[in-house]
Amino acid sequence: MKNFEYARARSVDGAIQLSTPGSRYLAGGIDLLGEMKEYIVSPKRVIDLKLIPDLGRIDTSSSTWKLGANVTIAEIAKSEPIRATLPGLAEAASEVGSPQIRNVATLGGNLAQHSRCWYYRHRDLHCLKRGGATCYAREGENKYHSLFSGNPCVSPVVSNLAVILAALDAKVSLRRGDKEVQLTVPELYSDAWGNPLAHNSLQPGDLIVHVEIPTPKNRSTYLQVSEKSDFDWALVSCAAAGRKTGDRWFEVSVFLGAVAPIPYRVESPLIERGELSSAAIGSISQSLASQATPLAHNGYKVPIAQALIRRALTRIVS
Amino acid sequence: MSGWPKNPHQLGKDHLRYDGPIKVRGAAKYASDMQPAGWLYGMILRSPWPAARVRAIDLRPALGIPGIRAAVTANDPPFNVRYCGEELGAVAGLSKQACLDALSAIKVEADILPFVVKEEVALRDTSPRVFENQPNAGEPREMRTGDVDGAFRSADKAVEGFFQTPVQLHHCLETHGNTIQMRSDGITCWASTQGISSVSDGLADNLGISLDKVHVISEFMGGGFGSKYGAGIEGGLAARLSKEAGGLPVRLMLTRFDEALAVGNRPSSFQKVRLGAKKDGTLVAYELESFGTAGYASGGTTAGGGGGAGFPAPYIYTVPSTRVRQTSVAINAGSARAMRAPGHPQASFGMESILDEMALALSIDPVELRIKNDPSETRRRQYRIAAERFGWNAKYHSPGSSQGPLKTGVGCAGATWGGGGQGSEAEVKINPDGSVEVRCGTQDLGTGTKTLMTIVAAELFGLEPADVSVKIGDTTLPPSGGSGGSTTAASVAPAVFDACQTALGELASASGISDPRGSNWRAAAAHLRIKPIVARGRWKEGLSGRGVGGVQMAEVEVDTETGLVRVKRIVCVQDCGLVVNRLASVSQINGGIIMGIGFALYEERILDSQTGVVLNPNFETYKLPGAADVPEIDVILQDMPERGVIGIGEPVTIPTAAAIANAVSNAAGKRVTRLPITPSHVLGLLEQPPQIR
Amino acid sequence: MEEEISRRNFLRGVGASAVAGALAKAAAAAQSVESLDDQKPVGPEPEKLVLRVNGSKYEVEVEPRVTLLDVLRNRLQLTGAKEVCDRATCGACTVLLNGQPVYSCMKLAMEVQTQEITTIEGLGTPNNLTPIQRAFVECDAMMCGYCTPGFVMSLTALFSAKSNPTVEEIKKACSGNLCRCGTYPHIFKAAQRVAESGQSTT
Repeated sequence: MKNFEYARARSVDGAIQLSTPGSRYLAGGIDLLGEMKEYIVSPKRVIDLKLIPDLGRIDTSSSTWKLGANVTIAEIAKSEPIRATLPGLAEAASEVGSPQIRNVATLGGNLAQHSRCWYYRHRDLHCLKRGGATCYAREGENKYHSLFSGNPCVSPVVSNLAVILAALDAKVSLRRGDKEVQLTVPELYSDAWGNPLAHNSLQPGDLIVHVEIPTPKNRSTYLQVSEKSDFDWALVSCAAAGRKTGDRWFEVSVFLGAVAPIPYRVESPLIERGELSSAAIGSISQSLASQATPLAHNGYKVPIAQALIRRALTRIVS
Repeated sequence: MSGWPKNPHQLGKDHLRYDGPIKVRGAAKYASDMQPAGWLYGMILRSPWPAARVRAIDLRPALGIPGIRAAVTANDPPFNVRYCGEELGAVAGLSKQACLDALSAIKVEADILPFVVKEEVALRDTSPRVFENQPNAGEPREMRTGDVDGAFRSADKAVEGFFQTPVQLHHCLETHGNTIQMRSDGITCWASTQGISSVSDGLADNLGISLDKVHVISEFMGGGFGSKYGAGIEGGLAARLSKEAGGLPVRLMLTRFDEALAVGNRPSSFQKVRLGAKKDGTLVAYELESFGTAGYASGGTTAGGGGGAGFPAPYIYTVPSTRVRQTSVAINAGSARAMRAPGHPQASFGMESILDEMALALSIDPVELRIKNDPSETRRRQYRIAAERFGWNAKYHSPGSSQGPLKTGVGCAGATWGGGGQGSEAEVKINPDGSVEVRCGTQDLGTGTKTLMTIVAAELFGLEPADVSVKIGDTTLPPSGGSGGSTTAASVAPAVFDACQTALGELASASGISDPRGSNWRAAAAHLRIKPIVARGRWKEGLSGRGVGGVQMAEVEVDTETGLVRVKRIVCVQDCGLVVNRLASVSQINGGIIMGIGFALYEERILDSQTGVVLNPNFETYKLPGAADVPEIDVILQDMPERGVIGIGEPVTIPTAAAIANAVSNAAGKRVTRLPITPSHVLGLLEQPPQIR
Repeated sequence: MEEEISRRNFLRGVGASAVAGALAKAAAAAQSVESLDDQKPVGPEPEKLVLRVNGSKYEVEVEPRVTLLDVLRNRLQLTGAKEVCDRATCGACTVLLNGQPVYSCMKLAMEVQTQEITTIEGLGTPNNLTPIQRAFVECDAMMCGYCTPGFVMSLTALFSAKSNPTVEEIKKACSGNLCRCGTYPHIFKAAQRVAESGQSTT
């Protein structure tokens, strides 16, 4: 890790003022310090956000809940209101890392984290995503990589929370200079679809302040499959959410994680119409196969994604 | 025949670890914790290239970094590097940060050369050579017995398969390294090692000094698994840095990244196996053609530690006619070292897999087929015991036949190991106050060697282990051997026994009390006044044995939609002769099985063909079993006290992966052909619907 | 050379010990979150800071890039926390930050000023082990022992939150720690013993 200046922000305005070209925000630090230790990024200044008041709050007082960017993953996983009302969010949080990571990692940091591609993270390599010429994964060892991508880089988004928050129609509020900007979760990642250098749509100096989650979707779930039984990245993750009124379903959405540089929306007229019979679920899951463009070593993710779509929808229905 | 007491009061019981209390307080000092006055932090610069001709290394910019006190090159340029991670140089300074900055500052000029990192590619004549003047493939090791072709013709059934095992890394939690102080009057080395004497030899040799000037200490060490015998290149570099820094001590421990590259591994294997048998299950013919890599030095004389990429074949079972051809192939990657039962887990996976195929072909129960062909009476008995405890007959079903997407399966496998004793010495001191000290120049890898020494002394003196103190891990103590090959318990226990017997005799004559043991102890010792008894002992025949058998059975659950495998239960029946410490033996067996689970399901070093780097030099993508991956483990220790003390560190890790692979094949209805058995592999097998035989 | 060594010792905090007596009390009063400099960048040169470890205060002077683990091990000689992966994956460096287990390899020392840090050295004494430490000894829940302090810290946090956790909760609490010797079954046994004894207080 190269040396840097360290500054502690006391307010969102203060953080923005401290932000200079080449500076980085520090919250939980798991992602940032990991990149710094491999010399992937070497910020001149690190701005510690953890003492900014208000960013650590979970506000459930209106129908749209507001979670501060500094709320830790552990707090999300343990929050009784979240477990009761947005179970998928609690499930996604409880699958993040390990207790030690969940205790420090934050909502904002989880959404803004960078690629875990092993070429990108390798200290001795300079891949496409790091500004080099080649995406080594495309022709190389790509068992953990994307089934869908709009650019030559095939590293997938790995944030668990992005997948469930996309399904819950959450909006991410950030400060961009003096302006407050609100992005949907798909918008937060859309730049990564087409731009190999992008991990998300954040611009330098952008600061995620909080996330707003509408709560009308009364059913949600998050599932992932990893090689290990615990503390492992998802090979594929899947979140499903919807509003059930009587026997009818509204606003159903299904997203996949770890298969594309963005949370990947599973599209189907059946989902749009809220048809979730077991036959319909089977057909939704089936349709994914024709859309995916697997690489040499990640074709196995297709059946996993299909199984997770089936299981997630079956779970919210039952 | 065993010279051990027939009715022991300490041997074979559950004993608490001698150094448990100090370890749970974090107070045990390992080589990586040493901070002698004035110590410097040391770090190594490694090659980022898989193959290169290094023309020049400029250390001056590193020496200009504030806090840096020494910098050395690993070799005098020009020289070749043959894998990513090969040592280029090293620095020592006041902090880790200074060293990191210094490593970045060193300028290396090199010509990058063509390389090869995949075994099957390295075998081709057209591929780049790891060493210019020799082909990548070494001379094959060939063995033949009987008339194989004739035997296959006479067989009622023949089955064949191609099986593949990955390179597995040791990944001891304490990285390799030493804290070394090199002064004009000699060298002191706090080593993380399985062999203080081999570290001593290595340093003396490397530095051109005599052995009496080398003092090696290793009171605690954080795991070795076969990879920590010598001081390593890192030890030599640390000594040179210390010398360069005017004799200040240098603590040079490797990083986790380094561990994945440069300090050994279990070789890979690619095995084409063919097996022939009679209708009644009698094996008649076996053929193996295999290759694998033990790293860049494969085919040379230094690779592998346990015989390069070769392995025992046919494993365990008696087959009258065999033809075996094994090739070690060099690639541009770090060299292998002995790793817990070198060769055996690979051998077991190939053999036990093809044997299960034969059982299916002949419609014979897999356990019965093993009992029929296993020459070891011990293992044949163990299969019966294991089957009973496991519930094999009720659980075994035809492959893929359990209902639903979540399928269960069972599998079994056996193992053999030597593990005999060898010439260790030990010393016991009985003080006039009755206190007892046992000393031996061995080391404790976490297996419980210290505890074992207290148990043996307590047994002979009629005391409690808590009454005995222990000194080990120091080259000034009576010489012992390296801790490898599961020989430590069988070497050290007899030496302590011998020393104690001599001391007991001396105490009897000095005190005039014919049996000074137990309740007479203090009174007898008091007769010594100011002169303690110091007695030396050495390993002798009759107290240790060699050659153990063990079998394991595994039950797994396979999610055929996601390819996920979960091990539900392992039953292990293990022979280990005379059990000294039952509790520690169970710890050791659990550990071997869990390492076997890692080999079966998770662990694999992954090299990149385009760049030659190790892509998973960390615990994020080189996956070790964690708490949630551990199944119910049921250990049955088969006591055979008449055989004396025998080590079990290695045999228990051998059959686990094969048993799991057989269980997964049984669940899925498809033959597992490679380790680790990841969702990717399982779903690949299941691309076609499971076939029911 | 002597001069060199003494400077080094200072920087490493070899001489750093609990700030004694009245001085310590004054420092304690001054050390609150509010007291930390607002909005003023420090570094990259070494900066003085005070850490509260196991109830004592230690003053060290470090660059911003120095991790808590580095300070604990190499400047305060608190070597119970180990550097094994240095990347938040193995748990051997686990310490408690305000009672919660965290990876000290992924915390800058700068970040944790004013917070209560507990390391393995803060738990138990030779003659008075904590119930978890005792259970580890009794169940042989360690082999080489290198990962042991980290597991003890993780389970200490679990038991301070819940006195009778289930086996599943025990496994979850240990999920951020790795043991290469494979002592997990005995670790679970030790934790269950504590859960059953109802004596989890540390």
